[in-house]
Amino acid sequence: MSLTSWLKKSFPVDDEALAEMSSEPIPNHLKKWWWALGGTPAYMFVVQLVTGFMLIFYYVPDPNQAYESVQHISESVSFGWLIRGVHRWSANIMIASLILHMMRVFFTKSYRAPRELNWMFGVILFVIMLVFGFTGYSLVYEQMSYWAMQVGTEIAGATPLIGPWLADFLKGGDMIGQNTLTRFYAFHVMILPVVSMMLIAVHVYLIRTLGVTDLRFKGEEKKDKKTFPFWPDHATTEFVMVSIIMLMLVILALVFPPHLGAPADPNNTPLHIKPEWYFYPVFRWLKITNLTWGVIGPMVFLVLLFFWPFVDRFFEKLFPKKDVAFWIGVIGALTITIFLVWETLAAH
Amino acid sequence: MKRKDFITSLFAFIPLGTGFAGITFMGARFITPRKSEKLYRKIFAMNLDDIEVNESKPFFDLTGRELVLVRTGENDVRAISTTCTHLGCKVHWEADKNIFFCPCHNGVFSPEGAVIEGPPPRPLDTYRVQVEGKVVYLYSQIAES
Repeated sequence: MSLTSWLKKSFPVDDEALAEMSSEPIPNHLKKWWWALGGTPAYMFVVQLVTGFMLIFYYVPDPNQAYESVQHISESVSFGWLIRGVHRWSANIMIASLILHMMRVFFTKSYRAPRELNWMFGVILFVIMLVFGFTGYSLVYEQMSYWAMQVGTEIAGATPLIGPWLADFLKGGDMIGQNTLTRFYAFHVMILPVVSMMLIAVHVYLIRTLGVTDLRFKGEEKKDKKTFPFWPDHATTEFVMVSIIMLMLVILALVFPPHLGAPADPNNTPLHIKPEWYFYPVFRWLKITNLTWGVIGPMVFLVLLFFWPFVDRFFEKLFPKKDVAFWIGVIGALTITIFLVWETLAAH
Repeated sequence: MKRKDFITSLFAFIPLGTGFAGITFMGARFITPRKSEKLYRKIFAMNLDDIEVNESKPFFDLTGRELVLVRTGENDVRAISTTCTHLGCKVHWEADKNIFFCPCHNGVFSPEGAVIEGPPPRPLDTYRVQVEGKVVYLYSQIAES
């Protein structure tokens, strides 16, 4: 018995089903990669998993050793600077591309029936990726990490009803310390990756089952639906994109290696402290509102985003001839951008 | 469903449901940190003459938290926590402006700890202080859970 026939017998694969699965017709607009931005966060997630598992080999989740272990990775371990750099940059690109992907889905109204549930899974994934980022930079245990943990757990503590329990659960006690770091580590390397993988699987399954939205541009409304096969056409485009992004990640890690600030000092908040850029809008919002609104505001935003397909349907019924969703999206995106720029430029 | 089947299912599901509820409860208790009672100890903080009236000095309580001892009168001392009441960052004393400033979200407090500006919801917390003769004692929390 040849190896191939033994393998086919031991691991039976339906060739026809496989061919059908990989030859899914893709709408023509996806030939342009910026219409297919959902793939980018997915690749970045894979890069995160691979580099993350590598970092686990050296990282020590102990407040007395965490910072030194990251320093050791960055300065002593062979290619440690590269692995850490790629991990950090891929996290940033993952969140940036996720935001662009969500904006594309929002403004093309691709969340509409029957894709409401998939949009909701997408919003959950977006929140999980933000938590990934938060728990990730907390593990470094530098000044920014420590105070991000402090502020983050206090924000959680201000959540209506479950706040005090949530803060205690996240901190693992009254103060930021060993229990907090262990819990953040467990979330970052175990709980969140498993939950994300399951949600990504469901997200992709729903995309395949429901199909990609067929977008028609000006002048194409009456034309027949044009498609191209997933394999090898779309796969090739994606492969080219992955190669370019991989190269870009290495260049970014090389030219802009991740900074390592001063070690965590629980008795001194640095005068100039800021979280990662994707939290800038919330950080600015917290400065200009009181604590209650500071916490409720972002929550309302996320709940609205989560239920957006149904909110949109409500507006559609209320104002059938006006594109309310578009203008709400424009105002929302502009507000977030203004807050982002404001916090970027502000000294305090 | 027949009556007999219903009763059989009921007898099967009640213990099963109770079991699951019990396990869920125990799991929730396991991941929730146990709260220990806060214990305080009276400790020596400083001699009254260590600082002049309207002067202050930093001090660390038994849990390692920093606070500021402010001599507000001839025989009055206040112990003000340097933890911002907004989201728990450490405030900085800005001597030139005579304020405590929180760098996280721009909270501003007076030398007595009252909120002057920004999002903090209440004044800076204070510690219980006792002045006995020329000696200042502070009631410090002993242990954190």
